[in-house]
Formats: sequence, structure tokens, C-alpha cells
Amino acid sequence: MNTLKLWLTSLKDSLRVNSKKEFVDLCMRSLFLLTTIISASFIIIIIIFILREGIKPFLSNNDGLGRVNLVRFLMGTTWLEGRAFFSNMYGVGFIIINTLYIALLSLVIAMPIGVLSALFIAKIAPKKLSQILRTVVELLASIPSIVYGLFGSGVILVFVYNLGKIFGIQSKGGNSVLATVLVLALMILPTITALSEVAIRSVSKEIEHGSLALGATKTQTNFKVVLTSAKSGIFTAAILGVGRALGEATAVSLVAGNARSGPSFGLFDTTATLTSTMLQGLKETIGLDYDIRFSVGIVLMIVIVLTNAILNFVKRRIGNVNVK
Amino acid sequence: MKKLILGFTMILVLTLAACSNTGDEWDSTSQISVYTRDTSSGTRAGFMGGIGFDEAVEDDSQLVDGFVINDNTGILTSMLTDEYGIGYISLSSLDGSVKGLQFDGVDPTIANVVNNTYGLKRPFNYVLRSLDDYQNDTEKNISLAFIAFMETTDGADIITNEGAIPLDSTNTWDDIKDNYSVCSQDNSDVTIRFGGSDSIEQIAKALTEAFAPKCGNFIPEHDHTGSSDGFKRTQGSEKDGDNYKHIGFASRPFKDSETGSIGTQGQLAWDAIVAIVHNDNPLMSVTSEDLRKIYGGQFLTWDECL
Repeated sequence: MNTLKLWLTSLKDSLRVNSKKEFVDLCMRSLFLLTTIISASFIIIIIIFILREGIKPFLSNNDGLGRVNLVRFLMGTTWLEGRAFFSNMYGVGFIIINTLYIALLSLVIAMPIGVLSALFIAKIAPKKLSQILRTVVELLASIPSIVYGLFGSGVILVFVYNLGKIFGIQSKGGNSVLATVLVLALMILPTITALSEVAIRSVSKEIEHGSLALGATKTQTNFKVVLTSAKSGIFTAAILGVGRALGEATAVSLVAGNARSGPSFGLFDTTATLTSTMLQGLKETIGLDYDIRFSVGIVLMIVIVLTNAILNFVKRRIGNVNVK
Repeated sequence: MKKLILGFTMILVLTLAACSNTGDEWDSTSQISVYTRDTSSGTRAGFMGGIGFDEAVEDDSQLVDGFVINDNTGILTSMLTDEYGIGYISLSSLDGSVKGLQFDGVDPTIANVVNNTYGLKRPFNYVLRSLDDYQNDTEKNISLAFIAFMETTDGADIITNEGAIPLDSTNTWDDIKDNYSVCSQDNSDVTIRFGGSDSIEQIAKALTEAFAPKCGNFIPEHDHTGSSDGFKRTQGSEKDGDNYKHIGFASRPFKDSETGSIGTQGQLAWDAIVAIVHNDNPLMSVTSEDLRKIYGGQFLTWDECL
């Protein structure tokens, strides 16, 4: 009882307000705290929910189908052996490899284009033009993924199919690794461009002037001084780009072909990513076949966290140059 | 100078593109690209069941290597591009942009489905509880009114919207609603339980959603678990269990063991599926055996089935 009283007095002390202004201030601060708690707690709620659902296939009996073997699940080269709803032999090993492979390839395509466009917008283009281009990039970044998906299935699939024919390869209507990579590269391009542009613009003028004063040309300065100074920011752009590439579901499932075994390395082979596999049939399936998609979700979250951690580590290693 | 080079390159690229589009012939030695729906799809169940390839309904490993999984629209648009592809879609989404194959020599048209000559289809059937087996008359009369509603043009429109092919209907609900006085009273405390085939779940939900407001706002409860539960839970072994239903559905013909009391069973629609190929493909007609061999991997190139 005593301790409670003490605690209440101390609480009153800490809450004591001397004026109306301070009271308003306190209210505002608690409001901000509340909103932060709300937004932060959602991530925890989501993680708990996904974990609870996703672990179930490995612990419970799955209505008589038996536990899913975790090692087999992580190493498997076929999504499901046996009949759906009657088998517990799921595997996502090949899909993990596919996902990383596709994200890497799309980064390889999007990175040079994105960074060079950013350099153009930030340093080379006339002011008017760069303002227009910046708006265009922002617009591109805000296009919903389903629109990219429709563009992919209407245009990129046809392009890839015809490209395959030129090389004498008969692709499955264009549904392939290449089509997926092209769609993803298109999608992460605006993210990379916008963020790199900010990074390049914040390189301090002194460094640039120093380089020019030493007799370097504009181009030499842009490549050897500006880009190297902005490399940390550009790397951040790459990290966010990879994140988007790993997490994209709708557009990918429209052009990947949703292969059920693999891994697929050939550019014209059909493929599947973790997200597209989760999405296939999600609205129609039940039981273990439904629960296992949450397990795939856990795998996806782990893959994203690990990739981000590695990229951040690399980013720290390449260091930082004095930028604003 | 630069502009000149640019112009030349543009012309070159355009001619190349034009050549690749028109230059080559359809090559029958090419591999067949197989397109399918996901294992959870009702269309897949209807198709694989219809061609006698029941093992492949829920098992991808029965299919030929390198198949593509896509949805109805995805398969349709793929056939616009892929000259060597074959897929299947719901008949109601077939248009002139791809070639719908004859099945055993019969054209895939809605008329041929309704007159029962086109074979690649399955019936959507319903079964009611026996007419003397309801807890009260309100439940019985709402169930009967619902069946009547399914057979009106209003019901037919809903069924068509959900991708199935309704049977012939002439009356609208307004024409016949006076025969069902139960619908003019307030039924908001009555629950009618629907179950059976999950392939019919979407149609059943759309029908009850439209019908409940027209019939005193009764509460429809849907629990679709599979065709065999349609009869079992209305007139079969589970009719008095916790999972009993007022109306059940089956996406296949009723078996002999599922013959119910007179006037409680009937058909609401057909679900017809059509195998499609690219318009350049010379193939006109397939049999269920052809399709089984294509999907099972015995036929790998097109000249094997031409």
C-alpha cells in the first residue's frame, strides 16, 4: 500500500504541470508516443501472426498428414511431391535460390541505368529538364505493381518470346526468368534513380570544385569524385531496390510461369519466387496447403533480413565520404 | 550526322522486328508448351476429371515437365503469343482471339453445352433436404424459393457472371415471387445453411447475396467442403449431425447411392471447359485421350497429335 502511494506521488510529480502550455505540450508528447507505439506494435503483431501460422505445419499433425520435415522443406527441389491436400512433402529450397538469383539479375540491370540517370538528373541536365525528369521518376515509383504486371504480361512476355525465337529457343510464351528480371528491373529502377539522385545531389560542392581545380574534366569529376563520394547513398538505393525485388508478388506471378521444381538458371526457363508461390491459389486453398504459405512467408522474411544485413555490412565496409 | 545514324538504326530495328513477326511458318516439330491452372482451381478439377486424368487433379508431378501455371486470363493471353502452347479455360471466357478446340468433334459453343453434345463439361447440381425434414415451414419455403430463384433469368445472370453456363430460363423473379409468400415476411432471424461442392461456392454465395434481400433478409451460411458432402449433409448420413445443411451442391452428377426423395434434386448450371491453342495452330479437334497424352507427357511435339 505504501509503495503504491509513493509511486502515485512520484507519478504525480512527474506529471505536474505548471501552466496550460506545458499541459498541452505533455498531451502532444503522449499523442506522439501513442502513434509511435501503434505503428511499432503492428510490425510485432504481424510477425507474431505470421510466425504462429507459419510454424504450425512443422509442429502439428496437420489433420493427419503428419509434420512437415523442416530440412526437406528448406532444401527441397520440388514444391510439392504427391497430391495436394494429401501430402506434406513441401520444399522451397529451389525457390529461395530462384528468388535471390532473380533479385540479383534485376539489380545488375537496374543499377547502372538507375545510377547513370540519377547522375544525369542531378549534375548534367539543365535545371528545367531535371525538374521534369525528377517528376517522371517519382511518378514511375508510384505506379502500382499490378500495372507493371499487366505491362509485363502484355508487352514483355511477347518481347521475350520473340527474342527467344531469334536465338532459336522456344520459350513458354515468354514466361521466364528473363521476363521476370526485366519486369523487376523496371520496377526497382525509379527507386534506385530517386535515391541515388538524392545521394549525388548531397555530395558537397567543395569536393567537386577541388577535383575541377586539379584539372579533371566534368566527366572525370562526375565518375571518379561525385559517384565515389555518393557511394554510400547509392548503396542504400540498391538495398531498397533489392528489398522491393525480393518482395514483389503480383507482377512476378504474371510473368514467371510459376515453375513447381527447379532451380531455374536458364534465362528462358520458367521460374517461381517465394512471393509468387505464396500467391498461387492462396484464395482457393485450405488446410496445410494454406498454412504452408505462411511458412514460405517466414522464409521470405528471413531471406530479406539476411540480405539486408549482408548488404548493410558491405555498405559499412565500403565506408563513407564527407557528404552533407 | 548523329541523327542520320540514329535514323538508320531505327529503320534497321523496325525491319528486323517486322521480319521476326511474319517471316516464319508454324513448325509441327516444335515442343508442346503445356499451360495449366493451380491445383486448387475448380477449372483444373473439371478439366482433368473431364479428360479422365483424375490423378493430375491435385498432383503436379503427374504432368509433363516444364508446364506453366497461370490463371484463366493468363492462359488465354499466353495463347495469343505462344504458337506452340496448349491450355484450358472456362468456356465462358473463350473469344475469337485464340482457337477453341473441338472436343470429340463437337464445337465448343454454349448451345452445344446446353443441348448436351459438347463433352468437356460437368454439371453443377443441387440437393435439398427432404420436404418433410425441415424444422419449420419457413426454412422449407425459403429453400424452395431459393431453388426457384436460381432458375429465373435473375439467377441465370448471376451464374453467367460467375463463369458458368445456366440452363434455359424464361421467368424473372418478379414474375414468380407471388408464389412464394414466405419472401414477403421478415426472415432476418432465419438461417439457411448451404454446403457441398467448393467449386460452386462462388456461385452459391453470389446467388444468396442477391437473393437474401429479396426474401426477407434471411441469413445465408456457407460451408462448402466438397461435392460428396452435398448429399451427405442434406439427406445422407450426416443430415441430422451438427453440419447439417438445407441446400447442398455437387459439381458432378449424383451417384446412384445419392438418389434423394422426389423433387429435391436438380441442376442449376453447366461448367464447360475448352482446350485452347494459338490461332496459327492447324489442330482443330482433340479427344480426351489426346489431351491426356499431352498433359501426361506422352505427346511431346505437335506432329505426334496432328
